[in-house]
Amino acid sequence: MKRLDLIKGAAAAALAAIGLGMPAIAQQGPIKIGMSMPLTGGLAAGGKSSLVGIEVWRDDINAKGGLLGRKVELVVYDDKSSASETPAIYAKLLDVDKVDLLFAPYATVPTAPLMPMVKQRGLLLIGNFSFQVNHTVKHDMWFNNAPWGPADTWPRNFVDLGIKHGAKTIAIIAADQEFAQNLAKIAKGIAAEKNITVVYEQNYPPATVEFSSMVRAIKASKADMVFVMSYPPDSVGLLRAVQEIGVGPSVKIFGGGMVGLQFSNIMESMGSLMNGVVNYNSYLPEKSMDFPGAKAFFEKYQKRAVEAKVDPLGYYLAPFGYAMGQMVEQAAHATKSLDHKTLAAYLRANTIQSIVGPMEFAADGERKVSTTLLAQFRGVVDKNIEQFRQPGKQIILLPEAFKTGDVVVPFEKARQ
Amino acid sequence: MSMRRHGFWIGALCVLALAYGLTLAIRNEYAFFAGFIILQFIVLATAWNILGGYAGYVNFGTSAFFGIGVYTAIFLFKALGAPLLVQMAGAAVMGALLGFVTGLLTLRLHGIFFSIATVAMTIILETLVINWKYVGGATGIQVLRPPVTEPFDSYIKMLFVIGVALVIVAVALSRHVQGSWIGRGLRAIRDDETAAECTGVPTLRLKLLACSISGALMCAAGAPSAMYLQFADTTSAFNLNYSVSALAMSLIGGTSHWAGPVLGAIVLGVTQQALTVTISSELNVLVLGVMLILFVVGAPEGLLGLLRKGWARLARGGGS
Repeated sequence: MKRLDLIKGAAAAALAAIGLGMPAIAQQGPIKIGMSMPLTGGLAAGGKSSLVGIEVWRDDINAKGGLLGRKVELVVYDDKSSASETPAIYAKLLDVDKVDLLFAPYATVPTAPLMPMVKQRGLLLIGNFSFQVNHTVKHDMWFNNAPWGPADTWPRNFVDLGIKHGAKTIAIIAADQEFAQNLAKIAKGIAAEKNITVVYEQNYPPATVEFSSMVRAIKASKADMVFVMSYPPDSVGLLRAVQEIGVGPSVKIFGGGMVGLQFSNIMESMGSLMNGVVNYNSYLPEKSMDFPGAKAFFEKYQKRAVEAKVDPLGYYLAPFGYAMGQMVEQAAHATKSLDHKTLAAYLRANTIQSIVGPMEFAADGERKVSTTLLAQFRGVVDKNIEQFRQPGKQIILLPEAFKTGDVVVPFEKARQ
Repeated sequence: MSMRRHGFWIGALCVLALAYGLTLAIRNEYAFFAGFIILQFIVLATAWNILGGYAGYVNFGTSAFFGIGVYTAIFLFKALGAPLLVQMAGAAVMGALLGFVTGLLTLRLHGIFFSIATVAMTIILETLVINWKYVGGATGIQVLRPPVTEPFDSYIKMLFVIGVALVIVAVALSRHVQGSWIGRGLRAIRDDETAAECTGVPTLRLKLLACSISGALMCAAGAPSAMYLQFADTTSAFNLNYSVSALAMSLIGGTSHWAGPVLGAIVLGVTQQALTVTISSELNVLVLGVMLILFVVGAPEGLLGLLRKGWARLARGGGS
């Protein structure tokens, strides 16, 4: 059966490839939304969780009678977490599958090659958690679902928080990878601007697992704050080293950009080791973030996540996947159109009400105001995933609009 | 011989003309996106086979050469605004130099140790590029390609035709190496390097030559990828997938003849592209793995070996 499907698929691809593809399908068929998603490779865990979020939206909108009265269908291909796969996939989505709308894959790297393509073809692209991917291309029909906002807000918030508590020096550690390096550069700029002395700075290769020497060096530097930009395996390694060696009493706040501390499996396994860390996040189950529809979404998501074997909590990415759907839903209903230019004009001019809060977009397609959270882990116990579904385990410090408490300093005190 | 040579070049011209004809006839650009990837793999597999197939030196560093090709193109484009053909020529020169250095490795390293050294080379070069901020370093770099030049109406179509031209160059070189004294020498090295050396085969010179040609072609294949993606990051450019695919394609096609890697790359490349848009999950990785195992076990001489056997059986059957 599988083989037959494969042969059929290959035959269809071959037919399409030699230009015998059917002309555009009838206008009143389903609305097809095309995307690639990292379903295998390094970004797969995030990609799958994000996709479940988008699928929940698809089912919700179809249950409500569809988008502009038409059923919504998703066309999804695996981009293997690689930039080199996405141009061909999106060409297929556009030229063969004739999709009506495009969603970007999760993360920056697979999205980057698409930006020139959508610009050249004048298409609307709804972004999915990439970081500053429109910086070079400057496409005016790009809208990112991520809460980042202006690139410097988030490191700035971290540094400002430290300064507020008397910090005058900073240690910066960053993985030699795209996201971390982008942030590190910004953090250094802000430190210079605020007259904060960088007493320790270290980049490390992505495969590093042993951090004791770095943690010892941080301790010796007597930094007042430690800004860390790490990826999941390194975040784990770093926190273990911190637990063993400590960073010294001088450190007021520690964390910032540690990727991984938002993912259920890591949160569960790290448990109390995360206490005290002030880290970024996108969405947390706190009262201040209980936007209309959020609760219902998580009930549906968490049921499906178990079946799909993806992140069982899903706070970090999945609601933003749902919000991508809400972006096109609100724009299409308001304009009664699927025309990319019309939708883009609407998205630029209006506030989108989503389950992750109101979204407004700046000229570069990123959020006008950053809603990236800075939250402090507090009172987390070991090996208990259920605790993270309750409010109070990650106190939101910033932005003010979502604040649920004050930071506890110094870092070592907050860990007790 | 001269007739056959002319035949090859006439055929090559026809293929090139056909490729250009397709760009005029087909509006659907997906065909060219997918086609370009397959052409890229044909060049990589053909280049791999010059060293790996003819000389028996298994090179796991295809991704290093490919990545250097990508980044040479990015550098030339960013620093000088060099056009695509200059980027490719520059990448080929870099590739030849890098190949020469790889060739020197063979002085001390043979068999599995040579293979491991080429993997190490990939990691070293990737680390170097990660720390080179001018070409984007760890953050990657986006570039905006220039407008397409006449007579093409879209950049991807132009890349497709350039890809076909590069395949022709690669196959011509591979064919020349195979049929000339170079190929005979390389085969002697593959069978017994010491014996070859003793009988007067200039083994080092031949290995250096094979490594340089192979490296130049791999880097030249990487160069257009920069303009294809308009983005380069080290993880994608130095992806081990290129090394594994080039090797698998040659093995599946057959390593003894220049047509083997071409055939293997077409079969595996088309399958990969079809799987990406049909099965599109972990299963597609499994399918490729199973295919490789089946070929290695069932057809150790590759598709070409199977075809030859089938042909011989047919010929015998016809004769009796």
